Amino acid sequence: MDDGNRTPQEGVRGPRVEATLMESVQAEDESLVRETLAGNQASFQLLVERYQDRIFSLARHYTRNAVDVEDLVQDTFLKAFSRLDTFQGQSSFFTWLYRIGVNTILDGLKRRGRSPVRAVEDPEILATPGPTRISGPSADMEREEIARITHAVLDELPEIFRTVLVMREFEDMAYQDIAEVLQISIGTVESRLFRARAKFKDKLLQLHPEFGQE
Amino acid sequence: MDCRQAEPLIPSYLDGELSEVRAAPLRRHLLDCQPCRAGAQGEKNLKRWFPHEAASSIPKGFAARVARRAFAGDAGESTLVERVLQPQAAPAMRAVESEEPIFQFVLALTAAAALVVIALAVSMRSWTLPSGTGLRATDNRGQISVEDAIERLDSLNRAETGGEHARPAESRRP
Repeated sequence: MDDGNRTPQEGVRGPRVEATLMESVQAEDESLVRETLAGNQASFQLLVERYQDRIFSLARHYTRNAVDVEDLVQDTFLKAFSRLDTFQGQSSFFTWLYRIGVNTILDGLKRRGRSPVRAVEDPEILATPGPTRISGPSADMEREEIARITHAVLDELPEIFRTVLVMREFEDMAYQDIAEVLQISIGTVESRLFRARAKFKDKLLQLHPEFGQE
Repeated sequence: MDCRQAEPLIPSYLDGELSEVRAAPLRRHLLDCQPCRAGAQGEKNLKRWFPHEAASSIPKGFAARVARRAFAGDAGESTLVERVLQPQAAPAMRAVESEEPIFQFVLALTAAAALVVIALAVSMRSWTLPSGTGLRATDNRGQISVEDAIERLDSLNRAETGGEHARPAESRRP
């Protein structure tokens, strides 16, 4: 799992350098966790500062309401703190935290009844989607306009599809990382993403037929 | 590899997630198959619908606030539950929370002012009311003798009736 703070430079680093950096970050995280459990508030504040960007970014893909986003992120960290003694270090701290974040966001929005997310569907029992073709957004479209359309489409998807698409397409997470967060196999990530993309295309064409491709 | 086998692998291939063992036959198939190449182009188009957004801005002091709440025993979800149950009341509560020191100062000042007003009212009341165990209606502080009182009444009468009427009255006195 990555450290949650990817930079463009990381792409040109060798795999050994990457692995060493990751190990170092994980060791630091585990040290901060131990200090927090020993009663050091500043150490917990450091953990929050390390990962707040990623959790805010995740929450903003589920709701555009700034107050809701802040509440959801805050609750994610407070929940993590209250369960910190259960963190075993089997996965990275970020994977563990991100999992809490996904669950907190989905539960929070469901409880408020503000989210159109629906009951979990089993992708394996869904019919295999047909080969829908879509065009990309036109060149003159602003980034904000594209994001608005995309989020409107995502709002219409079942939560399991929406979640994998957010993690892969917006957060650039590797299949292995998605599998660890969602506690599913890589094969399931692959098939779920395949169906999620097909659903996304179907829904986009339903809402915006002008983006269909012959 | 045929098209039916190639199609589900295309997204993973474009994500860079296929091992070389699986990627090599797919690459060969894509070179030979125009419909699958078009399918791959469609998947690339899809990615353009997920623009990477600018780094999200974080509210000032967020981490310190969260750490403080965590160590104060807040286990999360409280704000969510409050806002679900009282969606209208929540913003006011947040405002009070964010201006807590000012709010507490104003509260203490109001309480002190109320105490001063009560103390003043009690002392004024005891100062103006008559005291003592008798039933006299006179003011203790202005107490005069009976003789003095009669003398005052006489002088008042004299003033009202003039000097002629006053003389016989004086003559009656021993």
